[in-house]
Amino acid sequence: MLEETIVATGTDIEMAAVRGRIVRSKWARNALTFLVVFGPGLIVMEADNDAGAVSTYVQAGAQYGTKLLWLLLLLLPVTYFIQEMVVRLGIATGKGHATMIYQRFGKWWGLFSLIDLQLVNFLTLTEFAAIALALGHMNIAPKVGVPVAAAGLMFMVLTGSYRRWEHITVFLCLLDTAWLFIAFKLRPANWGGVFHDTFVAGLPAGGVTTSLVFLMVAIVGTTIAPWQLFFQQSCVADKRLRFADLKWSRLDTFLGAVFTIVVAGCMMIAGNAANVHGLAFSDPAQLARDLQPFAGEAVRSGLLLLMINAAVLGTTAISLSSAWAYGEVKGWPHSLEMPVSKAKGFYATYVVCVALAAAIVLIPGAPLQLIIIGVQVLAGIMLPSAIIFLQLLLNDKQVLGEEYVNKPWNNWVNWTIIIVLFILSLILAAQVVVPNLFPAS
Amino acid sequence: MSVMALLRPTTIRNVAEDQFVVIHPLDDVREEKVDTASLGRMSMTRSAKISLMALRGYLVLMMLLVLYHVIDLSGALNRSVH
Repeated sequence: MLEETIVATGTDIEMAAVRGRIVRSKWARNALTFLVVFGPGLIVMEADNDAGAVSTYVQAGAQYGTKLLWLLLLLLPVTYFIQEMVVRLGIATGKGHATMIYQRFGKWWGLFSLIDLQLVNFLTLTEFAAIALALGHMNIAPKVGVPVAAAGLMFMVLTGSYRRWEHITVFLCLLDTAWLFIAFKLRPANWGGVFHDTFVAGLPAGGVTTSLVFLMVAIVGTTIAPWQLFFQQSCVADKRLRFADLKWSRLDTFLGAVFTIVVAGCMMIAGNAANVHGLAFSDPAQLARDLQPFAGEAVRSGLLLLMINAAVLGTTAISLSSAWAYGEVKGWPHSLEMPVSKAKGFYATYVVCVALAAAIVLIPGAPLQLIIIGVQVLAGIMLPSAIIFLQLLLNDKQVLGEEYVNKPWNNWVNWTIIIVLFILSLILAAQVVVPNLFPAS
Repeated sequence: MSVMALLRPTTIRNVAEDQFVVIHPLDDVREEKVDTASLGRMSMTRSAKISLMALRGYLVLMMLLVLYHVIDLSGALNRSVH
């Protein structure tokens, strides 16, 4: 594309004016190209370590120590393979996931996936509930703190610049490196055990129980979520990633997956500290308070701030996935590059998603726990079918051509993932119907 | 030089032969993509269509099951707890 516009004049090449950076080596070109492409992969992965995930991983650590770390390692390739397909689809079509389902599967499935996305995106209630909890432990009234957080979340998106939003969000993602310091501070005496539990799969003492099955399903459901498919494809489309960017976008997604799993492991190690000290807690904010005598004020404050950070990341990504999906399906202008005046419907959807979740959390006596449980179960049940559509789209040669369509090994891997997820969702459904399916303890 | 400064684009009019230009996707010329709108619905085999219909039934059933469970948990059904 660029080569067509350049004209050689001696040692210099004169060209039509472009906005970019000049570098002197191939290495620098590759590094800088990666940096400009970098973003959507890290954000979609790390935003999935949201407040609900913090709660789940910390709970897993508190109940079973480091015994379930292997499950996280197992989920690393799973989450990468799924999101890599989304990247390919986004780059090839330049369109979001909702558009693709509408265009290729018709209105019923399009509407169904949109409603499903909306219902599941009520997960943002968990995020604001976590913000209220953490602020409460920092002596900030939720009535003040939650609206301020909601306003901040709106402000970071309404600037009319994709790049500004991406820079802020990547910065927030990288703040999660603090989990490594917290895990180091709360590290168990036996590092060899952590290594063993990460690379050797095993069941905790007590074998298969109801709580273990629920927790394992919750970990899978937390690590892979339907909104991620919609989010990353729309994000890739909004950033206008090019075919040449595919390998860098894959690297972005892979590094994001690795970072996210490492951070999730650190959360489990933090929860393990509660197991070691025999602390009982109902939420991570309480754990932060209870750990203070053992780990110090820095760990307490760090845990509370990281909980808020996780909630902010989760909210912006989940709400944006809704806003993009609605924009695509309704035919509204839908880009973070557009000013508010030119994409009113898109920004209004985002603002409504954020404001509604913040408002519900502030309603005294609202049945939050009930809504959250319902939404999480629904997300677990819907996930395999969402991936089926992704799988069908990735085998669509009319859309992707021979070059970008799934290879046979892709299909083997993905169908295996789908079957495992279906089995897990059926276990979840069976437990809802027959609560005593597995031994209680 | 900070990463942010490194990423900040400048206007380039000429470049030496031994240099490379890196352009942010948002500053680049829009790339031509597949026109998916004109493709219409995906053509599927009969078995694939039946599978999707079965999936539709399964999802509707599961949604109703979750709804029932949530209503039950809320106590709205007033079932006695043993």
